[in-house]
Amino acid sequence: MPFDDATDTPDDALMVLYASGDPGAARVLAARHVPRVMGFAARMLGGDRAEAEDVAQEAMLRLWRVAPDWRPGEARVSTWLYRVVANLCTDRLRGRVRRRAVTLDDAPDVADGAPGVVAGMVARDRKAALYATLDLLPDRQRQAVVLRHLEGLTNPEIALVMDIGVEAVESLTARGKRALAAALAGRQEDLGYEDGT
Amino acid sequence: MRTELSMQDKDLDDLFAAARDVPVVSDGVMARVLADAQLHQPRAMVVPAQGPTQGPSQSQSQSQSQSQTLWRRILAAIGGGPALAGLSAAALAGVWIGFAQPGQVSDLLLVGNTTTETLDVFPAFDDFVIEG
Repeated sequence: MPFDDATDTPDDALMVLYASGDPGAARVLAARHVPRVMGFAARMLGGDRAEAEDVAQEAMLRLWRVAPDWRPGEARVSTWLYRVVANLCTDRLRGRVRRRAVTLDDAPDVADGAPGVVAGMVARDRKAALYATLDLLPDRQRQAVVLRHLEGLTNPEIALVMDIGVEAVESLTARGKRALAAALAGRQEDLGYEDGT
Repeated sequence: MRTELSMQDKDLDDLFAAARDVPVVSDGVMARVLADAQLHQPRAMVVPAQGPTQGPSQSQSQSQSQSQTLWRRILAAIGGGPALAGLSAAALAGVWIGFAQPGQVSDLLLVGNTTTETLDVFPAFDDFVIEG
């Protein structure tokens, strides 16, 4: 079943069309946003595709429910969805048994024990290594790093999604990136990178 | 230290680029999402076009849905269910007051025991008769 998003109709207009009963609006909205929403959820959940699919479906369900009350121009659909997915993933991650106890914002730049975990990883490809290392970060740092460096959002957009200031976003992404670099230090050869010169 | 800096500056960006792909959504997931959308979509105000062959049952259901649409529009025009309830309550109260004529209503009309002054802007016909 092909799902194209060739139409240039803005998201706000599609939301209005959906709320007024247009049968095709949901298809375009879904084709446009589900892949991105699912990708973000997968990155937040350590690459768990099945769980990411559930999160994506739940996020879209909330979008359908809010459609009748949607006010064009107030929020972007993509930003709204990122926020919903972030909250859903946070809830799911809290439900998991965490490997270590950290608070959201008081976490150290480099998580304790991270190099050992990285060294013990069986997966050798870069994506798996990145997901595994991202999973070591505190939730907020991981969220900021994923939104900035994998989803390609700007800092003001991330600030809207995370409901924090731009300075806080910059701090979170910088700390998260430093933590990733430190956790991956010594893994360059395994990941196919030459030793830094 | 040098190794860490290199990882952060260049290799880490390569690592991000390698993981920046957009996943392919399976037909099953998309079908579930669209089923949710259909389930929660507000009812259309316009009756969708019917096919070229229309049986009696189809035209009956069409007229039925059209009348439903008309009532929906009337209801929406007066402000929805709560407004209709308020309107009904006010109408019933008016009918009751009209029939029962409770004493309190008369008292309300004469509140303050004020004298009513009248201005005769058109003298009575008798006055003309008297003056000849």
